Amino acid sequence: MMFCCESCCSFVLQVFGMELQAVLMAAGGGSRMMDLTYNTPKPLLPVGNRPLIWYPLNLLERVGFEEVIVITTKEVQKALSTDQRLKTDVKMRLDVVCIQEETDMGTADALRHIQQKIKTDILVVSCDLITDVALHEVVDLFRAHNATLSMLMSKVHEFTDTVPGQKGKKKAGEQRDFVGVDVTGKRLLFMANEADLEEGLVFRKSIMRKHPRMLIKTGLLDAHLYCLKRSVVDFLVHNKSVTSIRGELVPYLVRKQFSKFLNTKNATEDTEKNQKQQDAHHNLELLSTSKEEALLQLARERSCWNDHRGDMSEAYHGGKLRCYVHIMEEGMCYRVNTLAAYIEANRVVPKLFEDPPIHPTAVVTERSLVGSDSIIGPYCQISDKTSIKRSNVGTSSTIKEKVKITNSIIMNGVTIEEGCNIQGSVICNNAVIGRGADMKYCLVGSGQCIEPEAERTNEVIVGSDQLMEI
Amino acid sequence: MYVSIFFCSRPLIFCPTLHRSRWRKCAARVFGSREKTRRRPNAAEERNVCHVAAPLTPLSNMAGKAGKPSRPRKADKDEEEQPLQAVLVADSFNRRFFPITKDQPRALLPLANVSMIDYTLEFLTSTGVQETFVFCCWMASKIKEHLQKSKWCRPTSPNVVHVITSDLYRSLGDVLRDVDAKTLVRSDFLLVYGDVVSNIDISQALQEHKQRRSMDKNVSVMTMIFKESPPGHKTRCEDDDIIIAMDGKSKRILHYQRAQALKRLHFPMNIFHSGSDEFEIRFDLLDCHISICSPQVAELFTDNFDYQTKNDFVRGLLVNEEILGNQIHMHVTKDGYGARVSNLLMYDTVSSDTIRRWVYPITPEANFADLEGQSCTHSRHNVYRETGVSLGHGSQMEENVLIGRNTMIGANCTISNTVIGANCVIGDNVTLDRAYIWNRVHIADDVKVKQSVICDNVEVKHGVVLNEQCVLAYNVVVGPDITLPEGTVLSMHHPDEEDDEDDDEFLSDDNDVGYRKDKTKLKVFNPAEVGSEGKGYRWKTSSLEDTEEDELAECIWGEIDFRFSQFLTQSYKISFRNLGKQLTSLLNQFLYHGGKFYKSLLKKWAPVFKNYVKRPQDQLDCLASMEEVFLERETHWAALVKVLMSMYQLEILEEEGIMHWFNQGSTTDKSQQLRRNQGLLKFIQWLQEAEESSEEDE
Repeated sequence: MMFCCESCCSFVLQVFGMELQAVLMAAGGGSRMMDLTYNTPKPLLPVGNRPLIWYPLNLLERVGFEEVIVITTKEVQKALSTDQRLKTDVKMRLDVVCIQEETDMGTADALRHIQQKIKTDILVVSCDLITDVALHEVVDLFRAHNATLSMLMSKVHEFTDTVPGQKGKKKAGEQRDFVGVDVTGKRLLFMANEADLEEGLVFRKSIMRKHPRMLIKTGLLDAHLYCLKRSVVDFLVHNKSVTSIRGELVPYLVRKQFSKFLNTKNATEDTEKNQKQQDAHHNLELLSTSKEEALLQLARERSCWNDHRGDMSEAYHGGKLRCYVHIMEEGMCYRVNTLAAYIEANRVVPKLFEDPPIHPTAVVTERSLVGSDSIIGPYCQISDKTSIKRSNVGTSSTIKEKVKITNSIIMNGVTIEEGCNIQGSVICNNAVIGRGADMKYCLVGSGQCIEPEAERTNEVIVGSDQLMEI
Repeated sequence: MYVSIFFCSRPLIFCPTLHRSRWRKCAARVFGSREKTRRRPNAAEERNVCHVAAPLTPLSNMAGKAGKPSRPRKADKDEEEQPLQAVLVADSFNRRFFPITKDQPRALLPLANVSMIDYTLEFLTSTGVQETFVFCCWMASKIKEHLQKSKWCRPTSPNVVHVITSDLYRSLGDVLRDVDAKTLVRSDFLLVYGDVVSNIDISQALQEHKQRRSMDKNVSVMTMIFKESPPGHKTRCEDDDIIIAMDGKSKRILHYQRAQALKRLHFPMNIFHSGSDEFEIRFDLLDCHISICSPQVAELFTDNFDYQTKNDFVRGLLVNEEILGNQIHMHVTKDGYGARVSNLLMYDTVSSDTIRRWVYPITPEANFADLEGQSCTHSRHNVYRETGVSLGHGSQMEENVLIGRNTMIGANCTISNTVIGANCVIGDNVTLDRAYIWNRVHIADDVKVKQSVICDNVEVKHGVVLNEQCVLAYNVVVGPDITLPEGTVLSMHHPDEEDDEDDDEFLSDDNDVGYRKDKTKLKVFNPAEVGSEGKGYRWKTSSLEDTEEDELAECIWGEIDFRFSQFLTQSYKISFRNLGKQLTSLLNQFLYHGGKFYKSLLKKWAPVFKNYVKRPQDQLDCLASMEEVFLERETHWAALVKVLMSMYQLEILEEEGIMHWFNQGSTTDKSQQLRRNQGLLKFIQWLQEAEESSEEDE
């Protein structure tokens, strides 16, 4: 089932549409880049002059989804219905479900919230994912192994650029995620954060016996893209304590793969029923959902296929719950959840578009210099003797004479007066940069005015109200 | 592959001295492309041929190797390289093969009718080893005699074998310390046991090892060779289960543990801080017990006189990696064969693998050991027959059968998966399956044998049935008409007799554990055990599959005994500081083994401690070193009280000393925490009360 070429895609579309429902999680606040998201909700942040939410929508549309459930906030919903570009670009039917911002719902809560709408297995995508992954790789794992969970991971990117407002190098002591996969690199056996592993890694010998060669990888980025069995949603409905998919549900599923109780079926059920009534209840919930149809079982018995070699025991060692992961070896995968990732994504993404770097409605004088690695949004005005290199300029921005912009992100409606020098900075919506200002590695918040002749280096300039908030 | 064997095996029989070079040529023809990569064997071959033409004395042979002999085509940098050396330890330092090894050292036990040490030497020679040091201890003279008669000591041998014997070796550690003392090795060497059967091509691993050493001087000291064999594989036995964590890219070993007795496998976090982002945890490896060592290995054994086994060494090196900066790497082979005959189950497995030709080119019909009259024919279904075999009417050799010369087999026998030695007589209607029958064995009519070992000169009388995993050691007589239950071990040596006769230190490790009770028993053959005409004593049945518990205890006992005696021989010359170090390592061991044996061990050690812990200052020193140990292991703090209590009860420590230590101002937070431990507080309170009450009494 490996469809790589364009011609096959239509078939893939059809299949996807029937067997999977797409859920897009777009209600996150972007708490790790508050400076950016204070005025603009994360899904609407411009990346390569498109709102961030466009990227996952496009990803789903490319593989043929015709409908997607978007879980988001009121604010984003309004923008979704007004944004012209989104309207013209995205042909899928968007089933927008609003949740209240204040309630602080986790991703699992959100799934519980929409459980009525879920009829089949689901594909959950986060709104901050920008990737060119061949999505069928993930889904094929899900299909081929009748998996409970399959997910996407990629190599972590090293952000080399200087990030505004960040003092010194990023501290190396970041807590790493430890991901254990089997020898094929597909089966997900173990997942934990370094913070929870002070006592060291512990594996049961029985797990090692089933998977005698385990690769432990660190330095992987979880793309927050999950295929989940419908039964998992039912499980969530019964377990209200689980609030987050990544934080709780996925580790739970990974652990449960080797739970004896789940695999030995009814034998132990009676004896342990009394003591672990509650636990048993939960487990049964998962089991009933992952109960394979009799035909499938029969097919596996009759087949000589096996998922492992070495011993002669049955495929999957009789386990009913299986988690898989597709790890991208190459290609692009960003999660725009930090400022550094945001800057990096803006730098990389424009190269992927086929449309002209300068929007036809933009006014660019002939005597200015716009590098081919830059993009200029609609209704922009670029004046004489201005040079723009490796930068993105958003909609309706005005850039006056003799301005030099390198390695920067200019959002929408920004005005930059004459003679400015802007390098490695992010200028948010509707900001005004005064004449002759020199900005290096700065972040200028929405609607801020920078006084003329200012010289700023490595600063975060935001409104006073915003500072109070933080 | 098989075709080529047929092709080349025939001339070998007629021309035994040349067979090696012939075989190589054949092999080179078959594996044309491999010729370049295997330079060393080629060089060996040339020399071999040259020697046949004009035999040299061993001395000049050696000189020729070190200097620049007539090697016309290979005048490149290989010249500067030292000849590859190997250290072969022809002693197992354990008693897994008891009682068989009471009569014959393990290295000389026949495996497919060839002594095990010959397999090892053949392997070493074919990987290009030019000088081998064979270290023997138990029954050294027999090994020496065997080697002197073998082809390895002929002047034409490309591999010069030196036999070094000493009764004082008690472990691998002693051997390597001796290697260091005698400065035998000049550069990287191979370290193997005398019971390793292998056909692995080491050259790639050797090259990697050399490369690592040239890149980082003296950092990587050892490359261990592993064979891939997932759980459930035939060559795996529970005893040898190991779990390894390695760096995915550099193949460096980060963690090495024997997993036999463990339910949960624990990996400390610090091994993942090596800067790599890919690690592998492997449970699918079989330790071939072949390692490429640099000369530092011997030095390290000298520096750390408490290293006894390779396990000690590897673990010690990994734990102290940050301090010493030494690393161990690994090489995993997929298609080679390598296994150590470490117990009888492995003996069974390796034998059958040899017959099924997994160790090609080391096969029975190759007669690689070049023994006279040992040549045999190979026919369909892996049936091998040496000369002079006679087979009665209606007897069938089904598959995987090897029959030694001049053996006579009666009528209507069924034989499968079996090795029979030379000059055996087997009666009519005998069924043999997975039987390993050595030389000069007499088996009468109507005998059934399943998966058993029958040693030299055994007589099995009419109608005997041997169930699985029976062992009949040398000269035993069984029967008639008796059925031996599964796992019976019979020997002419009485299980108790080692108490009386064996003053040999090597054997005396666990005398006093179990046998004392029945010492008074009269030594008569029990007809219920061996049959009415039988001769032999029954041994504990557990010896085939050593239970984990026993093994663990045994290894501890062995070590402690050894250290104990070492201390006594050093006759009080050591300072207490040294003793403290001993105590530390001892304590570490208890904690490591779950503290099961600490009491008995302490009892054993008590006299030594008492001798040294005399002054109050000594007590403080002793307590300080104990504290040091426990501070490193927070999880074992509860055990501190137990150890203190036992030492108090054994009168090694006195209450004043303990109180003084407890009240002593502790410097670090952690040691203060240690003192606040619930159990410890209770103990101190109890001590105080005891003291007060004794004062009141006065």
